[in-house]
Amino acid sequence: MKFSDEHKNCACCHVHPAAVKIEEVSVKLGGVNILENVCFHVPQGVCTAIVGPNGAGKTTLVKALLGDVTHTGKILFRQKNREDFSEKRPVFGYVPQRLQFDRLLPLTVMEFLACSFCFRPVFFGISRSFRSMAEEYLNEVDCIRVKDRKLGALSGGELQRVLLALALMRKPEILILDEPAAGVDFKGEKLCCELLEMFRKKQNFTQIMVSHDLSTVAAHAAHVVCINHQVYAEGDPEKVLTSRALLDTFGLHMGMVDLHKNCHCSGTSHGGGNEKC
Amino acid sequence: MLTHFYDFLCSAVALIPLECMQMRFMQEAFIGILLLAPLTAAAGIQVVNFRMAFFSDAIGHSVFAGVAIGLLLSVSPAVSMPVTALIVGGGIMLMKRCSRLSSDTVIGVFYSAVAAAGLALISRNPNVARDMQTFLYGDILTISGGEIAYLFILSVAFYIFQIFAFNKLMIIGLDEKLAKAHRIKTALYEFIYVALLALTVIVAVRAAGVLLVTALLIVPSAAARNLASSAGKMFFLALATGLFSGITGLLLSAQESINASSGAMIVLVASAIFLVTLFLQKKG
Repeated sequence: MKFSDEHKNCACCHVHPAAVKIEEVSVKLGGVNILENVCFHVPQGVCTAIVGPNGAGKTTLVKALLGDVTHTGKILFRQKNREDFSEKRPVFGYVPQRLQFDRLLPLTVMEFLACSFCFRPVFFGISRSFRSMAEEYLNEVDCIRVKDRKLGALSGGELQRVLLALALMRKPEILILDEPAAGVDFKGEKLCCELLEMFRKKQNFTQIMVSHDLSTVAAHAAHVVCINHQVYAEGDPEKVLTSRALLDTFGLHMGMVDLHKNCHCSGTSHGGGNEKC
Repeated sequence: MLTHFYDFLCSAVALIPLECMQMRFMQEAFIGILLLAPLTAAAGIQVVNFRMAFFSDAIGHSVFAGVAIGLLLSVSPAVSMPVTALIVGGGIMLMKRCSRLSSDTVIGVFYSAVAAAGLALISRNPNVARDMQTFLYGDILTISGGEIAYLFILSVAFYIFQIFAFNKLMIIGLDEKLAKAHRIKTALYEFIYVALLALTVIVAVRAAGVLLVTALLIVPSAAARNLASSAGKMFFLALATGLFSGITGLLLSAQESINASSGAMIVLVASAIFLVTLFLQKKG
């Protein structure tokens, strides 16, 4: 069952104008359709969650947003301080799912941040002004103690926070997080989401979070898009996450939202076939 | 003017109080090593980061094709070798980007094809075939003034590129997607790096031969990685290791009691340093 373009009725989209319009985007890799005719809007200044099962094309969608994969259709971004949209990409902050890197590489956290920002090559040292700026951000993500440690010696959670600090330092217009909770313990995950909310209020960016952890999504997202190669539902989390759409995208009985909301008893029977939000 | 300066350099090198340094070819070889060793060591840092050891091997083997093409088109090998190396390097990078094959498969295919083509053409001409030994084992002692000038220009270009691109290459090596999200033109940087690497490998083949050229690139930076606590330190440690093993290897090879190929001695010294760093790292 498909549910098309219902986002115009979504409460969130009424309050917040769109920051990104994804229009009929399809991606084909090696003859397989990874994304088919994907259409949805990302509201500005709030957290939009993209949920879907493994292999649903979530990471490919992120790649398409970042311009790392060729696609058909259009991805339009609202231009800074203007009303019009174009395909010109804004400043992205990007926190990858995991960094697959050579853990023996002697690169300290401070150097890693400097490599991404400074023109001066790190073998000529890092300027004091950059150091203090980076320390400020590391402090805010509660990771200051690792600043001189090697990147390869960090735990999954620490690395995630360093990547978050890096993304925030860019003062992004759009912050994209690919499975931020993967490999992070529950406490770390909660902290991560709270931090993000704080920063979002401060820097006023649009957040796009890919996740298959529905409890995190329910607690933190203002707008949810369910995809499995195509968009199955889009709208407010309490509507989408209790709907039949979940069954359609995940192919399973998912009752996660019940834990948080204490109301809907069965995630599958609510909403029926009507995904209006 | 330039030749005067070059003569002056040689006589300066002759001041080293060693008997072997009184010979002109040793002085030239010494200057060559002073330029080449840090250059290959610096280039090697990214070879290790990008896991391109096999790639540099492939470029090294392209010298056969380079010589063969030079023969066919009657162009000097000094021109045909770097040009072939650039084409092979660029070709591998293009194929890697466009096909879904793993990079070592792409390199494996490309490299054997190019080496085979070169060998097939060369083997038809027995006179040239004999000269091929120079490329197999290398010989820094026969380096010419022209080659030293080429090395000097290449070194300047390479260090300028490193100053501009070292940070960005580090990020690209860590995670290409992250680099792209940071709006780093990954393809551009990679292609420039590969071009400079190809040109470096070609001179390094003159010094250490096709068989050992990869060692000149990766051993210093592998040793530096073992000891360095940061990327900045790694850079200078790699340069120092390269320079030290280059000079020591060259001087050792000229001692009468040893009297061995200089390229091989340089690689032996570097490998010994690597072993020591491995031990120090375990202890530390």
